[in-house]
Amino acid sequence: MSNKKEREKRREERLQEEAKVQTGDRRTKLLQFGAGAVFLVIVAVVVLIVASSGGSSGGDAQNLKEVAAVDSLVNGVPQDGMVIGDPSAKVELMEYGDLQCPVCKAYSEEILPQVIENKVKSGKARIVFHNFTIIGEQSLPAGAATLAAGEQGRGWNYLELFYRNQGEENSGYATDEFLEAVAKAAGVKNIAQWNKERKSKALTSEVEATTAQAQRYGFTGTPSFAIKGPSTNGVELLGTVSTPEEFEEAIEEAS
Amino acid sequence: MNFPSEANLRRAIALVAALGIGVATYITIADSGGGAPTCLAGGGGCETVANSSYSHIAGVNVAVFGIIGYIALFLTAFFANDLARFAGFAISLGGFGFSVYLTYLEIFKIEAICQWCVASAVLMTILFLLNATRLIGYAGTDGEVGSAEPPESEAGLA
Repeated sequence: MSNKKEREKRREERLQEEAKVQTGDRRTKLLQFGAGAVFLVIVAVVVLIVASSGGSSGGDAQNLKEVAAVDSLVNGVPQDGMVIGDPSAKVELMEYGDLQCPVCKAYSEEILPQVIENKVKSGKARIVFHNFTIIGEQSLPAGAATLAAGEQGRGWNYLELFYRNQGEENSGYATDEFLEAVAKAAGVKNIAQWNKERKSKALTSEVEATTAQAQRYGFTGTPSFAIKGPSTNGVELLGTVSTPEEFEEAIEEAS
Repeated sequence: MNFPSEANLRRAIALVAALGIGVATYITIADSGGGAPTCLAGGGGCETVANSSYSHIAGVNVAVFGIIGYIALFLTAFFANDLARFAGFAISLGGFGFSVYLTYLEIFKIEAICQWCVASAVLMTILFLLNATRLIGYAGTDGEVGSAEPPESEAGLA
């Protein structure tokens, strides 16, 4: 009798022992899986970050940035060719820039938006962009592409979007693919027409002509600015203008 | 090492996941009409982030993936078994990793911060810590073994 009881007791102890081992095994396995998952997620995050950091220098046709920001800046403002603003505005501010120029990009992003908001949208001034190609050989096709977008009323969309996605100077990013991606994102409707016009003699000659004009004015760098209004003596060159307030003051003085 | 009771961890997971569902749903609804979430502290960060090319994957707002993840995490809180513990850990780990990536994009690529995205990232980080504690503390146990409190009924958690 006592033997039977002992046997049962030992059997119970053995079962408990086995259950404990099984539970321990399951726990070890789960924690190992967990550690493996942590490793995989760390690798995935690092790969994602490295992969996306490749395009940080801009010039990425596949991943154009700030399309909406450009739309909200220039949409609703009259455009004609490379003129933005009311055609009958008294003051005309002329910008001579190179699409590859990083300082022009900085002006476009940090200074001109306030001038557009305060002076162009109110009808006091219009801004005209002229190409002054001094950076490199891709500056001319980029400039002509902008003028061709202007032919379809999207010149400033193109200009602003190009600046916001500008790559490193002369790194060769301004390929046909990049130029066309900007055109599509800038809302150029007839891409076939745009492609034809940007390569036309008329527009490439215009880029060369405005570059020559800038040199005649004595400009040596981009962007350079000139202004014309009722209170100016014809076209007046603006010296170093580096804040939106200085532009606004110049517009007030010229009007 | 003293772990909080599993019942308490499950309660906390359910609560934080519910908050996450709310935040992700708000972002999705605000974005669906072509708009953007409103930044409570002002500034245009939310609009910039919502309008960036990173806000959608294959045409689907990333917040939708957030809703799915938070709902799944919410459900894992209702079961006290190894499957729920591991699923909770794995989902929150994935969510945490994705939040790290999205925060990197906000700071270095989009150069704008959306408070709603930060809120979601914080909630996902808390969920990851809770689920990791739950897995380490209770993996391999049955039911509410090790709880400091008597087992909660499933209805009591809801």
